[in-house]
Formats: sequence, structure tokens, C-alpha cells
Amino acid sequence: MKWRKADLQTYVQSKEYIDTIVLPLVPFGIANDEESKKAAIQSEMITLLSHELEKELTGRMLLAPHYSYLKSADKQTEIARMNMWAAEMKEQPFKHIFILTFDPSWKKYEKELESTLLWLPAVQTGELNSKEMHKTVREQVAQMVELIRAYWQ
Amino acid sequence: MSDEKQQVSRRQFLNYTLTGVGGFMAAGLLISPIRMAIDPVLKESSAGDMANVGLSVDDITEEPQRIDWTIDQVDGWYESEVNRAAWVYRNENDEIVAFSPVCKHLGCVVSWEGSDQHPNEYFCPCHDGRYYKDGTNVPGTPPLAPLDEYVQEVRDGMLFLGEPKPRGEA
Repeated sequence: MKWRKADLQTYVQSKEYIDTIVLPLVPFGIANDEESKKAAIQSEMITLLSHELEKELTGRMLLAPHYSYLKSADKQTEIARMNMWAAEMKEQPFKHIFILTFDPSWKKYEKELESTLLWLPAVQTGELNSKEMHKTVREQVAQMVELIRAYWQ
Repeated sequence: MSDEKQQVSRRQFLNYTLTGVGGFMAAGLLISPIRMAIDPVLKESSAGDMANVGLSVDDITEEPQRIDWTIDQVDGWYESEVNRAAWVYRNENDEIVAFSPVCKHLGCVVSWEGSDQHPNEYFCPCHDGRYYKDGTNVPGTPPLAPLDEYVQEVRDGMLFLGEPKPRGEA
């Protein structure tokens, strides 16, 4: 389910079946031209990936709206905020909270997060709409489905 | 009227001419509004469009295989490419069957033999929903309806699929 009215209606009716939430992290920063371009690609890729993942697992996961953060921001502050999000989600109750990111700098703080961090190596070459990219994304999504299913069992 | 050969009088001739010319003018004026009024009928419906899924009928076997294709969808403001998928196989009566992979429970994507414990069945990873090979839901699992079936057509040996339709009781 996505974060939109129609899906939320289904969610409210079948809460007991939906126990997983996925939160995509999107970096933002416009100070450095190269860095901002990278951040934009990451944002595009994560949107694509998370939508494909949502399509596969619609019936059991909710795709949260993007969590965006400044590249230069203090990680501790962000982690505190993210844990607030996680606390709110856990109350619903969502049993499995996955944070999706391409940004390797989060990996170091994984232990401080009250959710499961899924860090993916970013694919940054090639055209986003090309056939090869579709294939790559599909394969990546298939593996993510496997991983999430492992948590379900 | 003395001459028997004079069959059309001047008055009649003028009447005929004016009616004819007037008729043409009226038709000219009316044709655009009429065309406009019946336009929706003449328009090809995009919903019923069949898409070539790039699969030759000779390649369809008894083993369900997943195919993916894209269609153009006009959705309110913008036109977008939408990915579609189907599980296609040939049943015992040698008919081609194409199922939509969307689980009838809450909409996850099912896959053929998606679970090692349940061979010869479609399996939904979300809540362990299962379907038999003919798309019927396995009783006792979450889905309450059989898988939707695509409207299909074979043109020149290629498979064309349209919209998924819920199956009636079979």
C-alpha cells in the first residue's frame, strides 16, 4: 500500500494483515553540484525501487512517504527523529520496520536505529528508463522480497 | 398549358432548384454538429486495446511462465507507461490461459511454485495464499476468489492480452 487515500482505506480495514512498513531515505543537499546530482539520482532510484517493491508486497506492507534529510546534517539528530518515526509506527502495531537507503553513511549508525536498515549499493550508471535498468531493478527487488520474507518467518 | 410537351413549368423548375440548393446548404450546416454528437461512438476505446506481449504461441507450454510487458495508460492528467505481468500456460484442453499475478486477497504478486512446500500451485508470499494451477483459490488460505484472467487473442501466432477480468464460477 502506498501513502494515499485509497490505499489507506484498505489498510484501515485489514490492519491485522499489514505488519510491515518501508521508509525510504532521501538525501538532500544543493551546496555542491556533483553531490546534489548524486543525491537526486539516489532519490529517483529509491522511488523506483520502493514502488516496485510495494507492487510485489502490496498486501503486507505500507510504503511510508520519503524521509528526507540534509546531507550535511548531524546524524545523531536525524537518528533521534527517525526513532521517533519508528516509535509511532510500532504503536500501530507494525512489527517490521525497514529503512531503505543508498547512502552508506547510515550503515555505521545501524545499531542506534530502532528499525532494520537495508542499505543497497547504488547503481548509478545507465539510463533510468532503459531495458537493462528495468532488469536490474527487477532483480534487486526480487532479492529484497526474499530478504523481507526471511524476516517474516 | 396549351403545349403538351411542356412538363416542367418555370415555377416548378425554380421550386426544385431552390429545394435542392437549400438542402445542400442545410446539410453543410448540420454535418459538423452531427459529427460532434456521434463522436464518442466512433472513438476507439483505449480500454479494450490488446497489447502484443511479445510471446509466440508456440512457446507456451504446460508449465506456467511469467511474462512482462508495458502498456500506455492515460490517467487523468498524464500518460504513463504501466508494467503488466501475467502467468501464461496451456491447459489440458490445449487452450491458452493467462492469469493476472495479483493476489485476490490484498493484491500482492503471486508466483508459480513460489514456495517449495507447495509444488504445482501459485503462491502468494504475503499471507501464504495459494491457488491451484487453474487459478482457483485453495480453500482455507486467505484469498476468497480465483485469479483474474486476461482477455486474450492470438494474431499471427503472437499472443495479445487485454484487461484482466474476474472469473465467473467455473
